[in-house]
Amino acid sequence: MAQTLYPRGTVKKIVKAHARKPLSRNADILIFLNYALFMQDLIKEASIASKQAGERGISAKSVKKVREGCLRKFMG
Amino acid sequence: MSESPRKRQRTTPRNSEGPEAQITPYSDLRQLAGVIPKPITPFRRASSAGAGPTPGSRRTPNIAIRTPKTATRTPHRRPGTRPNPTRRAAPTTPHAIRALRERANAARTPGHNRRRSGRIQRETPRDTLRDLSRLLARTTRPVDPSPQVQARTPRNPALELPDIDDGPEPVRPRLSMPLEDMYDDDSIHEAPPRQSLLPQVPDDVDNGTIHSLEFGRRALSEDPRQMYGGRLSERFAEFGDMIPEEEYEVDGTFIRQNGLDDQFLQDAIDNDMDDTTTDLRALARRSGGRPSDVTLGVFGDQDEPDDPTFVFTLPQRIQAAPQEQPEEGYEDEEAQDEEQPSVGAGIDVIYDDDDDDDDEPMAAYDAQGWESDEEIHNDQDLMTYREEASAMDRSLRTQSPERAASTKGRPGPRSGRQRKEMFRTDFGDEYPSFPAATVKRLATGFAKSQGDKAKISKDTLQMLVSTTDLFFKQIGGDLAAYADHAGRKTVEEKDVLAVMKRQRTLTSNTTAFSLAQKILPRELLQQLRMEPPPKLRGQKRKRMETIEEENDE
Repeated sequence: MAQTLYPRGTVKKIVKAHARKPLSRNADILIFLNYALFMQDLIKEASIASKQAGERGISAKSVKKVREGCLRKFMG
Repeated sequence: MSESPRKRQRTTPRNSEGPEAQITPYSDLRQLAGVIPKPITPFRRASSAGAGPTPGSRRTPNIAIRTPKTATRTPHRRPGTRPNPTRRAAPTTPHAIRALRERANAARTPGHNRRRSGRIQRETPRDTLRDLSRLLARTTRPVDPSPQVQARTPRNPALELPDIDDGPEPVRPRLSMPLEDMYDDDSIHEAPPRQSLLPQVPDDVDNGTIHSLEFGRRALSEDPRQMYGGRLSERFAEFGDMIPEEEYEVDGTFIRQNGLDDQFLQDAIDNDMDDTTTDLRALARRSGGRPSDVTLGVFGDQDEPDDPTFVFTLPQRIQAAPQEQPEEGYEDEEAQDEEQPSVGAGIDVIYDDDDDDDDEPMAAYDAQGWESDEEIHNDQDLMTYREEASAMDRSLRTQSPERAASTKGRPGPRSGRQRKEMFRTDFGDEYPSFPAATVKRLATGFAKSQGDKAKISKDTLQMLVSTTDLFFKQIGGDLAAYADHAGRKTVEEKDVLAVMKRQRTLTSNTTAFSLAQKILPRELLQQLRMEPPPKLRGQKRKRMETIEEENDE
């Protein structure tokens, strides 16, 4: 985990644009946490799907296949 | 008094056995019960026995006739019965057979007074009712519902009336709102009046491309579905196909897409465009029938044959939600016109193509909207405007004065960052795309932890980035909805927590903090932990709760 922070400003901007509301100070961390969870789920599902399809690694196709379900799962 | 027991003895075999029962074993009685199959008889018999003197006196004359036979038989039988219980074969003699039968009949048929009286005494109301029904139902029949019989005939008339030739089938009326194909060519409805819509078009001009460029405009505030953009995942089918960026070439009077041959183009025009325009026209009609709203300024000077004309193939989704933002699309058009974005941004452009309402048709369509806005304001303006230059040229021009004026309100989008592609939400706010590097880092980390090969190919990354953008769009809408519901102006952490709780990433077992500990880097974790104290009170409490829970764990 010796990585840099995620681009906080970008996340804030993106969410702010979509929500059309300003974000409170730490909301973006939680949002990013949520996003990371989503990504985890997405990668997991995609790797399952790609394994089922017999592909090596994670293909764009498998990501495309599973992302709808993942997004739906992460609906608030 | 002394007679009655004796008579009883004689009258029926049972009664005669009654005194005998003290002597005979139980099997004998059972034997008799087997001979007389009617299960009701013992009940009646017992009832009549306990009935008292009056039924007894009545009964005597009746059965006295029979008794001799049975009486004669019973003594025969009785000695045999005792040693040998299985004496079914005993009534071999005609007398015995007859007696047996009669006895059974006597038990079965309630035609005698004695029986009736006994029954009346012992009858339950249900029995009464049943008897009544037997009397009454003799003539009545079960009712078969008449409407069923009537309905049966029209149900399949084809089977019953095969000879009837019913010509061409009448057009089945459509029961739903015919939004998409209301004015199909094969529709029975008359075509909408196009003249009013395109007043300046002479008859010989090919209409196919002209009326195909009309778009209805709907005020953004009118469409409730567009608040917060809805849920992206509901419209996912739209994002399924990644259309590569399309280029246009000027071909005679048409500017058309590369790679489309004329036939396809024509088809596209005929199908898509017609649908779209008629659809929109219908919309315009419904909203008060102002045809001038739909008319495009672009084709004002159609009488000049050399004037280039836009031809767009519109995907279906535009028809579904013809929303318009009058000022939208400059960015996109510019992106098409002037610069081919660099590698990282190229991905984003494609994504954006798929994202909200398709960039490339939007671009043109917005350009039209922008021009027809003028038309709405006053037609005089429009006329002069049309005269002064080709509207087409204008819409193609990237630096038109109007455009510069309208972009003025926005803080210069392109000046600061050159490489970063900016997108627009449904509301016209622009936002940067999520950096692909972060996505890649995250995805690689997760893939590694999954035990997968941590190699993520370029198009996978592209897909992940686009998914990321979709995710942020979705969560943005959700958060806004939550904050709105709470009556707040800002999205706060509670909203995020609520969203997470709702999507069940937060349960009673997992708190946001534990998740953060698992996933987020430590700096963020610390920030998450340390920031709360200077917060507002309500927020602080929320945060503190979470932390305490975390500490418990």
